[in-house]
Amino acid sequence: MSLLIRTDVTAVILYEDYIIAGIGSSLHVYEKNTAKSLETHNHVLEGQKIYGIIPIKDKSKILIFGGKQFKVIHRSNLELRLFDFSPGSILCDDWLHSGVWTSDNKIALLTAHNVFQVWEVSNNPILISCTINKDNSILYSGLITPLIDDILVFSGTVFSEVIISRCECKEPLHRLIGHKGVIFSVSCSIERGIIVTTSDDRSVRIWGLNGPALDRNTKAYWDSVTISCIHELYGHLARVMRNCITNRYVISVGEDSGICFWDSDGTLLKRIGAHQNAPIWSVDVDEHNLVTGGADCGVTTHPLTVASDYSNPDTLRIGEGTPKKLVYTARRNLAILNETGHLIYYVIAGKTEFIHKIKHESTYVMLSISPCKQIIAVADMNGNLEVFVENCKGPASVQNVISTKLQINKILSMQWADNRHLVLCSESGEICVVASKGSEVEIVSKFLLPHCKERWLTSAAMHLDNNLLVVGDRCGNIHCYKEGKTPIKTFAKVHGRYGPTSIRIKNNEIVTTGRDGTIKYFTVNCNNGVYRIKHISSKDLGFQWVEKCIDSQSNLFCGFQERVFVITDLKNNSKLLEVPCGGGHRSWDVVRYIENINNDYEQIIKLVYLKNCDINMETFCLSKITSKDIIKGTHPKEINCLKSYHPQLEKSMTFFISGGEDTTLRISSVKGTKHFQDEVIIKHLSSIRSLKVFLLESDKLLVVSGGGRAQICINIIHFVKDCDNVKVVVEDVVDFLVKGTDKERKGDKTWRNCFVDFDPETRIMDLEIVENKDNCFLIYAGCSDAYLRIFQFKYNGDKVTFEPLGQLKYHKTCILKTHCVKFLDRIILLTCTTRGEVCFWDVTEPTSVTDNDTTVFSEPFLSTTTNKSGINCIASKIISDSEILFATGGDDNAIHVKIVHVPSEDIKSAKIVHNWTSDKFHSSQITGVLIKDNTLVTASIDQRVTVFKISKNGREVEYSYQTISDVADIHGIDFVKQSGATNTISVFGKGIEVLALSLEEANLTTAI
Amino acid sequence: MGKTSKDKRDIYYRLAKEEGWRARSAFKLLQINEEYDIFNGVLRAVDLCAAPGSWSQVLTKKLKENTTNADDVKIVAVDLQAMAALPGVKQIQGDITKLSTAHEIIKEFEGLKADLVVCDGAPDVTGLHDIDEYVQSQLLLAALNITTHVLKNGGVFVAKIFRGKDATLLYSQLKQFFELVTVSKPRSSRNSSIEAFVVCQNYNPPTGFVPTMINPLLDHQYCDFNQLTGPNRFIVPFNVCGDLSAYDSDTSYPLLLDGKTTYEYKEPIQKPIDPPYKDILEKTKNMQLNK
Repeated sequence: MSLLIRTDVTAVILYEDYIIAGIGSSLHVYEKNTAKSLETHNHVLEGQKIYGIIPIKDKSKILIFGGKQFKVIHRSNLELRLFDFSPGSILCDDWLHSGVWTSDNKIALLTAHNVFQVWEVSNNPILISCTINKDNSILYSGLITPLIDDILVFSGTVFSEVIISRCECKEPLHRLIGHKGVIFSVSCSIERGIIVTTSDDRSVRIWGLNGPALDRNTKAYWDSVTISCIHELYGHLARVMRNCITNRYVISVGEDSGICFWDSDGTLLKRIGAHQNAPIWSVDVDEHNLVTGGADCGVTTHPLTVASDYSNPDTLRIGEGTPKKLVYTARRNLAILNETGHLIYYVIAGKTEFIHKIKHESTYVMLSISPCKQIIAVADMNGNLEVFVENCKGPASVQNVISTKLQINKILSMQWADNRHLVLCSESGEICVVASKGSEVEIVSKFLLPHCKERWLTSAAMHLDNNLLVVGDRCGNIHCYKEGKTPIKTFAKVHGRYGPTSIRIKNNEIVTTGRDGTIKYFTVNCNNGVYRIKHISSKDLGFQWVEKCIDSQSNLFCGFQERVFVITDLKNNSKLLEVPCGGGHRSWDVVRYIENINNDYEQIIKLVYLKNCDINMETFCLSKITSKDIIKGTHPKEINCLKSYHPQLEKSMTFFISGGEDTTLRISSVKGTKHFQDEVIIKHLSSIRSLKVFLLESDKLLVVSGGGRAQICINIIHFVKDCDNVKVVVEDVVDFLVKGTDKERKGDKTWRNCFVDFDPETRIMDLEIVENKDNCFLIYAGCSDAYLRIFQFKYNGDKVTFEPLGQLKYHKTCILKTHCVKFLDRIILLTCTTRGEVCFWDVTEPTSVTDNDTTVFSEPFLSTTTNKSGINCIASKIISDSEILFATGGDDNAIHVKIVHVPSEDIKSAKIVHNWTSDKFHSSQITGVLIKDNTLVTASIDQRVTVFKISKNGREVEYSYQTISDVADIHGIDFVKQSGATNTISVFGKGIEVLALSLEEANLTTAI
Repeated sequence: MGKTSKDKRDIYYRLAKEEGWRARSAFKLLQINEEYDIFNGVLRAVDLCAAPGSWSQVLTKKLKENTTNADDVKIVAVDLQAMAALPGVKQIQGDITKLSTAHEIIKEFEGLKADLVVCDGAPDVTGLHDIDEYVQSQLLLAALNITTHVLKNGGVFVAKIFRGKDATLLYSQLKQFFELVTVSKPRSSRNSSIEAFVVCQNYNPPTGFVPTMINPLLDHQYCDFNQLTGPNRFIVPFNVCGDLSAYDSDTSYPLLLDGKTTYEYKEPIQKPIDPPYKDILEKTKNMQLNK
């Protein structure tokens, strides 16, 4: 029984105030405005994804189709229900591409072999007509449009053309020729007189109708119309999957997760991204909103104003000189430094300027504004400092409060560390912290910046109690100063070669950003005046230049992706806005604030930037441009590995830790049957193939993950109470490349001069973690180059060590699985390969290493072959003091259950004593196997999950029943929990499904 | 990506280039033959969906061994797309769903029927597994359909399938036309890939079966002997083919293979001709794309 499903959203519609989505075979109804889940109907179709949801005009009925099945569901009369639901569907003999209501009780369907059918559906559906069109090679898309006196059929073929025919007419009416690839979608707006097609060739084509002066809803019109391509449009970087037409726009969605808004002239009005770079499979639109469903399992609505009112741009010019530097002030006016070094205070409301002339001794003039944005400091290289304060009330103005000459020579950088302290760095690395004292300033403290190539600061911040100064230098280092000249702590090269762009200290957390595309998190703990500063984690934002955080919750970060200014929302893993402003090497500033507009609180973002000496200002009203998640997305590609965890402090919640082809490790919270949300996303360099967890202490989990590029990462996850929620705090402790980093492998040589590296590329195929001693772990990695590698990991709060202990090549081919069994006082490691071998290693005392870098256990104590080819999954169970049962599932569709007799006195004489095998239950490779008590569960790419009963002594395996999952490309099963006779499991692959299983199909009870 | 990365990532990709095959799939057919001896006595063979032509290459090489007179060997390659010419292979650029194509093949064999039909065609995959599997099964059924026109009784048919959720439907369909149906996975096909090959031996259509192109064979529905779930699903034997000592497609090998002393980078034998994304590549090259 399915409890929760997340997979490709292949159908979605806007329906009154609701959003109805087809996710796998289930139908989900959400409230449009609140994103609240109203009802879910499982197994609407039988083992088949829903591809179409078509309401009848009066909305009393809905046609649902997918694959070869369709069904009609009715609007409910019950108050709390939207639809009445009954199981069962009608099976056609061909794949359905399009369906439409032609009258109150009739539907028309178009199938993949270009067969057109009409069904009467008032009671049990009856086929009343069937037209086989001449061009019957496979269709990839289709559309049926009823006319007053006939029905139009658009068939999108594999041969790059769209065939338009009429139901009553044998010969096709028109052929739309021009695309260079498969046609993925066809739309037609009779009112607007256009047809829109999208294709494999990455183009969107708009076709115009040029017909006689007749009603376009008649067959006479379509018989004589001429159709020609009026626009061939390119805006997507990958295949264009779907499109829809509104009275103003043509909207296309693509495999590149882009949504393009086009006008009737073929102009690209706006392109936005959604669904975390996953393909968008489904789209619908009403007067105000667009809704999309993606391969990331998410459903998102987008206001149409994103195309029409994206921003409110304005260009300003100043009277005197050309602007060089500018910042927003607290009252959202501008402080501008012109090329002669004068400060201009520009009041935006009245477009008035106030000039404050400043005498400089140097042309190198710096401008900096305090975090509260009220205090503006201007200094030149020779130490002339002017400080201005903006007033809070009355007519806006700034007042020069300090005008002094500092006894500091050759100032290279100036930053505000908080609203009181200004940090100046001069030649030879002298750092001076100054604060005001009446109309003068005093030097509060002095520090020395360690030697580096370009010795000045790029950012600075002061800890709350004014005791700790954190600065970032131009070489990417972060230094923490307290007393004394030298740093008490230095984090070397944390932000690449341009230096940290911002440092923010909040409570006991330091957040830094840099032009290496990352945000780094540190913690500060002060114990009796002794500071402990520790790097916790790093987050990759996906664009190179991360500048700073712009909200108080530390969710919105801005920066530049090449020439485009970007604001990203960490929580939703999405881009909030993109402005092609030319790049970050210009003076610019951004502010975010809340404004009351007609009694609605609107979130506003203002961006100002210099371009060609013009001051460009853009204002964004977020409610007009922000997409809203109805169902939160997750991995956009296959999930390769997953483990679940129930935190002690909130037992009703489950967390899934999952890694996938999308190179991300995600920790998601699951509550009940509806809530599923990614809480943390951690990136690997390449796909993640395996992850294992180890419980360190209550709600503190060690997660080791590995995959492509021979990368192994270890994260420590803490589950902590945060008001009513459980917060996930991640500490990244190890990021290790078995083969070394690119630089270590190839040196500094450019690729042209690089010699050919003969070492194989290695992928970590599976991992196993075992605690050896307290806080000392052994990690076994099965690798694609047939090596088994062993690592030692030590962890005690502060100190982390991770080192290779050895490697050994026993197998000839790729190791697919590693699996550890604790057996009496021994630890036994099982390795499985692509040739179907299973080897047993005694790794109870593995750690002694010889000079040849080989561990002592060079031979397995038992070796056997189960499957004909690759073993994709393995599970085990100890059945007695001398027997271990293990089950494997392979690429050959076969399940093997074997019992190994392991005499404790002489492990070398271990042997297989029992064999059971079957290849009759799955028609495709078996990728998941699970043993829990006397239940054996297998899962396969054929989307079947089979339950077997194992007798107590393991000698009998009996088939119990089989169920079908909506998750395609299943990669594994994980046990979630047990309650009574019911086991809750998750299957994962292209999505996740949580299923309740019991030994007997009839005994299922609902629980998660 | 470095020039040699692809060579490292995939041993068969590299070997294909080194041994002169147009695609790595050549090894799949060779390994299927090792197991099933499908080329035995074959003189007339049809390669459906032949582009880029690696299977035709294998056929030309292998079928020659069956006769002393090379002229006896007749190989017809059919594809919608243009394919670079291959000596000894007659190319037909045509649609396998058209009767005319079947006639052309028979004409090429001078009225005789083929001993072997192979099909390594794959559709444009969408990323939605059920659609991809469906389209692949339709491609296979189209291949089977034309095969019923051109294959002699007792002949062999080998085709690519996707082992997805409805694979059993396809098996039960094929079983009606062939005495022996096996699913086979060559070692050169990756472990994780859903691709496999059906090897259908001893063509024996149902009595009274008249080949036709008008009603395409539609695949089966789940029924009494082939249910959606449960033990009554129609599952055919599965076999792995290829020598145990053969290279393993999932294993990462060093560029310097065991027993070799040198490595030399080789260019691909045959680059794609006229792909659908050609225009957009041109456009991005010229920076015409609206950004």
